[in-house]
Amino acid sequence: MSYFEECLTSGGLRFQEERRALYKYLLEINNDFYVSQANLLLDKGTITRSIANGEATYFLKNRKVDYSARKLDSAEIYSELRDIKLTRLRFYNIRKLQRFFAQCDVDVISNFPLPGPNPQEGSGYGFNAKPFYTVAYYANGQNLFVGLMKKIRTTDREMLTKLRTL
Amino acid sequence: MPLTIPKPILLLPKVPSVLVVGLLAAQFFFLQIGHGPEPKCTLNVERPHYSTSLKEIRNFDAIKLNITVDCNVPQKYSEITSSIQKIRNNREALAHRFQVIRRVPEVKFPNLVVIQDLYSECPLGVWGTYKGEAKGYAMLESGKKFPLEGDSGKYMAVDCSIGAQ
Repeated sequence: MSYFEECLTSGGLRFQEERRALYKYLLEINNDFYVSQANLLLDKGTITRSIANGEATYFLKNRKVDYSARKLDSAEIYSELRDIKLTRLRFYNIRKLQRFFAQCDVDVISNFPLPGPNPQEGSGYGFNAKPFYTVAYYANGQNLFVGLMKKIRTTDREMLTKLRTL
Repeated sequence: MPLTIPKPILLLPKVPSVLVVGLLAAQFFFLQIGHGPEPKCTLNVERPHYSTSLKEIRNFDAIKLNITVDCNVPQKYSEITSSIQKIRNNREALAHRFQVIRRVPEVKFPNLVVIQDLYSECPLGVWGTYKGEAKGYAMLESGKKFPLEGDSGKYMAVDCSIGAQ
């Protein structure tokens, strides 16, 4: 089993650094896919897709995108979980949505991992209040300049190498 | 000639007292239904402990912090900032600051939020005394924010050398 497959089955049993590296990896391997998904969402207003053992539905309304999620075999839907505001510039919105999709995919994997030997931790639906693509995430309650410095310095090289190894 | 003082005409209640009491009771009853109970939430921070499950499943040595937010009314979510403090050179010091977590309760139990995925890697073979701290708020279904703050109490020993056995 590759490290990426392990990530898909261990869900909430991951350290923050591992989830962040997973976000970067998803952004890297799904670059074109996220662009096509972003175009679809901007044109149709809603899209649904599955990852790990969960399904996420994205809604576009009044230049704001949010998503709801559910476990694949469950009717319990967690709605309005995370949102992002869009601009009037389509190419910029696509870039923003790429990052948003990668973040939400990590959320879904963490909450609804693939069935495996690992018991799922916690109940309900949990996620980082500050998304990985913001400076506020790196600042973690401290000065935003400190956050910016941390963001520049954080490469997650070691974990990204593990993820890239099939 | 004797003076006749006119008897004062007393105002007699036109509404029977039973009806007055009944109306007051009904008013109280409807006011109670309209407002519901006063919202109250309790933050429970468990003492940090060595995570045996993470050791068994992933072979990692980590300290785990569990937190619950229990309200008497349904909540949309709870947003919690938490950290683990440790005693270093007889002084309190920050051992780990977790990311701000937002957790939506299970649909079946809308009053209760359970956070059980906060891990901090611990140096193998190091024995320390730790305490968990958390603060934040519960966003209630009514739209009100209920502030929360608490800790796990006394500093307690956590033995990260368990994993080496």
